[in-house]
Amino acid sequence: MPVVKLTVNGTRYEEEVPERLLLVDFLRERLALTGTHVGCTFEGVCGACTIHLDGEAVKSCLMLAVQADGHEITTIEGLAGDTLTPLQAAFREHHSLQCGFCTPGILMNMSDFLRENPDPSEDEIRRGLVGNLCRCTGYVHIVRAVKDAARRMRGEA
Amino acid sequence: MFPARIEHYARPRTVAEALAALSRCEPGEAIFLAGGQSAMQAIKSRMLRPQALVDLQAVAELKGITLTGGALTIGAMTRYADIARDARLGGAFGALTDAASHVGDRQVRNRGTIGGSVCWNYVAACTPTAVLATGGRMNLGATSGATRSLAADDFLLGPLETARQDDELLLSVSWDAPAARTGSAYAKWGLVTDALPVIGVGVSVTQDASGKCVQARVALAGLAGGAQRGPAAEVLLMGSAGDAATIDAAFAALAAEADTHSDLSADADYRRQLIQSLGREVAQRAFDRARA
Amino acid sequence: MAATPQDMLGARLPRKEDLRLVTGTGKYLADILLPGMLHAVFVRSEYAHARIRGIDTSEALALHGVVAVYTGIDFKDTVKPMPQPVVQPNLPARYPTFWPLAIDKVKHHGEPVALVIARDKYVAVDAAELVVVDYEELTPVLDPERALEDGSPLVHEEDGSNEIFAMTLTGGLTEEEQQRNADAVERIFQGADIVVKERFRVHRTGITPMEPRGVLCDWNDADGLTAWITTQRPHIDRLALIDLLDIPGEQVRVIAPRDQGGGFGVKAPFYRENLAIAYAARALKRPVRWIESRYESLMNVGQERDQVNYLEVAARKDGKLLALRNRGVADNGVGTTGVYWGFVMPFLGAVEMPNAYTWEAGDVRLRVATTNKASLTPSRAFGHFPTRFAIERAVDMVARRVGMEPSALRRMNLVPSLPYTSVTNEYYDSGDFLRVWDNLMAQVDLPAFRAEQAAARAAGRYLGIGFGCGVELSGVASELLVPMENQPGYGAATVRLDPRGKVLVFGGDAPGGQGHETTTAQVVASLFGIQASDVVVTTGDTGTTPFGSGSIGARAGSYFVSAVAEACGELKDKITRILAHDLQIEASVQHFEFKNGEVVYLGDRSKRKSFRDAVERIIMFPINMPEGEVGGLEYTAFFEAAKPMICFNADCCIVEVNVDTGDFEIRRWVTSEDVGTVINPNIVDGQMHGAIVQGLSNAMFEEFVYDERGQQMSADFEHYKLATAADVPDIEITYATTPCPHTPLGTRGIGEGRPSSVPGALTNAVCDALAPFGIEIAELPLRPNLVWRKLREARGEG
Repeated sequence: MPVVKLTVNGTRYEEEVPERLLLVDFLRERLALTGTHVGCTFEGVCGACTIHLDGEAVKSCLMLAVQADGHEITTIEGLAGDTLTPLQAAFREHHSLQCGFCTPGILMNMSDFLRENPDPSEDEIRRGLVGNLCRCTGYVHIVRAVKDAARRMRGEA
Repeated sequence: MFPARIEHYARPRTVAEALAALSRCEPGEAIFLAGGQSAMQAIKSRMLRPQALVDLQAVAELKGITLTGGALTIGAMTRYADIARDARLGGAFGALTDAASHVGDRQVRNRGTIGGSVCWNYVAACTPTAVLATGGRMNLGATSGATRSLAADDFLLGPLETARQDDELLLSVSWDAPAARTGSAYAKWGLVTDALPVIGVGVSVTQDASGKCVQARVALAGLAGGAQRGPAAEVLLMGSAGDAATIDAAFAALAAEADTHSDLSADADYRRQLIQSLGREVAQRAFDRARA
Repeated sequence: MAATPQDMLGARLPRKEDLRLVTGTGKYLADILLPGMLHAVFVRSEYAHARIRGIDTSEALALHGVVAVYTGIDFKDTVKPMPQPVVQPNLPARYPTFWPLAIDKVKHHGEPVALVIARDKYVAVDAAELVVVDYEELTPVLDPERALEDGSPLVHEEDGSNEIFAMTLTGGLTEEEQQRNADAVERIFQGADIVVKERFRVHRTGITPMEPRGVLCDWNDADGLTAWITTQRPHIDRLALIDLLDIPGEQVRVIAPRDQGGGFGVKAPFYRENLAIAYAARALKRPVRWIESRYESLMNVGQERDQVNYLEVAARKDGKLLALRNRGVADNGVGTTGVYWGFVMPFLGAVEMPNAYTWEAGDVRLRVATTNKASLTPSRAFGHFPTRFAIERAVDMVARRVGMEPSALRRMNLVPSLPYTSVTNEYYDSGDFLRVWDNLMAQVDLPAFRAEQAAARAAGRYLGIGFGCGVELSGVASELLVPMENQPGYGAATVRLDPRGKVLVFGGDAPGGQGHETTTAQVVASLFGIQASDVVVTTGDTGTTPFGSGSIGARAGSYFVSAVAEACGELKDKITRILAHDLQIEASVQHFEFKNGEVVYLGDRSKRKSFRDAVERIIMFPINMPEGEVGGLEYTAFFEAAKPMICFNADCCIVEVNVDTGDFEIRRWVTSEDVGTVINPNIVDGQMHGAIVQGLSNAMFEEFVYDERGQQMSADFEHYKLATAADVPDIEITYATTPCPHTPLGTRGIGEGRPSSVPGALTNAVCDALAPFGIEIAELPLRPNLVWRKLREARGEG
């Protein structure tokens, strides 16, 4: 069995994994990082499993664990430090989540998105969210929170 | 769903290592894994059951966008996100950025590659169509050490089918330096934003100094036969001034002739309508870019 | 946002749930891992309708890591067949008999035929592939109208008919009464100035939650069964498991995980998979888990709507609506789900057809046909998404015929004062429809829009405005729920005070994202004058919570918080009785104020005690008590409203249609809502946003498609398209609330029915835009392809 060496949320791991093990299952079941969710069968459309691979948002259900060898991964559990990030805080404040199942994936995608585009328009935010399905919120409060977080991260009131 | 058993995983660092890894496997036993945004769907659904995976993620020489004297080479492992954000790729290569900017979603664009997409050649896909419209060439290397280069027209054979042999690796997609006053564009229509194209249209045109169209390539996505050229529109665009009336006529002709089908997303007649309305918009944009 | 306890009711408090959910530390069903847990995978039918000639499980069993493989026959004598009373409505119907797995015959694509249990979930899938089922394909029954004709093949042969349910909802209970009513309705139609008659078709779609279903069962001989189930109804699931598996009641505990990834009705039925997994755990004496794949989910659940309504509306030429006559046919699917059986939704849909309008009379009938498709399962806007679409479209058609503004015609026909009983005998308890309507119209400058529309048309652009409204259930009273689902409608809550001044609330319902922890805490905090952070809410565990029929039908804001309020009231009574005794004053609860963490005697504000001390004294130091009082502070209250209750809403939508392609863009969506007293405006806004976008997504994008062989073609998110953020507009929610007079806080249950007015408003807007072409659309999904085809027909090009 191959051995993968990778960093997840700042911790180094060295683990034997079967070749076919999906990265999302490795994270959820081997490392008990269950904040990364699974919402598709094979299609990789819902985005609930989004993580950062070397800082970029990717879907962990469309990768094998062996492919993550040598990489740095951040999951929702590693997004916040001692306090919530401005994006997480904005999600709370604007009631941007209901059941919360899609939320980790959205936070991981949008935190990467805001790094790339610190001053997005509403249209850009909505297009940036295409890879994350949310069934509860109608996206209205999500868009609002991303906009507000962007403003705060740019240092505006 | 979870992948069926996979026996071997290899992560070569060079093209030579990649081809060597492939040649160590029985024919048909191994597949190359590029960005995996389509292949992993197929592996998870068990439509594909590879014994071995040769993961190309670490092959640096397959990555990157090079512009030399106007000629463009995009490494097979270059991601949509990298193509979409490359400011140099306007004008003649506008169709490539148009397509790459709207494939799937952000997460997919952060992983998916141009090479993976053209080699997968899904029945309804943006990248093969944009590459076909812009006249890209596929540069392949074989385990024997041989290399060859195929025009997109000869490479893209049909849905999920290409001219790539099992012992070949796609190295890059390249374009000759475009003639002056060349522009290209691509757009698609899907039921939801950035979905797979129900219809996609790519157009590349070149005008001479007088504004006459001297080169026109039109390609379609979303037909049952996969990415394909639209000669009925091309012949009408050629020689024209790229005026609205000619563009209308060109895509009306293409729509009338196209072998459209009905499925869950749209009926055959509506696909014709989309060819016409999208074609109009895309050709206009291509001419605008040629003139810019 | 530091809300003081007094303004806790109505505060935009950030949710208590969110800290865990934004940090990935929520606990959903799939996050629960037990040592030694086995993994289950169902083998599902590849055919819509086929006889099972044989099943060979030998290869699967031989695979290393496989623990067991079950087929239908294993359950035949060990599990009672459905139906069983606990999950069977008190409505006369042809209830199909079935077991957890198919026996002899498969009746829809995706029906479970075998169950594989393995030590590893990847191996379980490997083994499932090795189960060989020998099928003999039969002709599938796919068209509900043809299914009801004589000579149709039968889905459930023993029933002798595909008509699972039929009912006349108007006129009375006897056939004579119903005929008399039908004759009277016919006379109104004969004398009417205007009759609109149309076949309205709404496709198969529903509200797929992001978290699929799942079950984790653990068995030991001493304690019996503990089942974690993604469910809106843990107490009902528990009773069903007890009855069907014949396990003593004390040995079954069902836990709905605290975090559930949405329900929307999909997690309300009792499913055969739950039974199969519980059975396996008992047989193997090991924890067994099944996590539904998205494929299985889209294959089996979340499919609703799917009705044809032949609706006729009679009206006067001044716009007064007179009578409606409807013949509904619903496609029930196979009907093998407990509690709902497919037809309970269309039943309620027919009841809700008259909506908020006054009708002199109505003749509403429904027939429900069994077909070889997945069973209809509940989805938000339970049953009435199609009937509401039909009525809202028909009202616009009448308006166009009489040359009135559809909004004016609606206002003219709204029920002017409540209470009111509809022609289908639905009771509307309270509210002010006209005020809600006028508030909506105040958001929209209609004359300015008409001017803009005219100018745009002159320039070749097509704008349209559409309206819709909806009377929705606010909880489901026992009066309705006992006949409809054989369950009580009351709300139940246990409120337990803690010696440290904290409050624990226990409820038997099982939310899936509605924010009950927060709203409940706000109610408790406002009543006890403490902080919401002092309140902990536990739901969904039958081992610790009082009986509740589940998180369904907008029960939380109506019934559950009312039970919470009543329990708090009882406890306040006791606290003040004892405090008055201690202070040696003659006073009762109304002479005290619970404020800022203190209990204050209003007659002399120096006489006060901290809430914590007052509570601790009663729980921990029950000496020197008043005559007849004992210590302890815990109360379970049951709340039942005397009559069913409602909430009301109205929508306005503005669209622009591209008449070349049929593409349309929603430029504005604004609403007006009567939700009663608001506990947390953020949460109410969020409920409305979500419901409206669900309505739009159902109306425009989502569709479950079966091909001519009954193969389900839309079982992944590439083919079953949900709206993304880029596909839907911003939504403006406005309020015109009337407190509900029948609940202690004036609250109403909200959100459940809310999607139902959406497709009508949307389609009305598109048809308004296309009025110059005379286009009336009577079917969903409303996609550019359809609009384009209608335009072609209108231009004579079709």
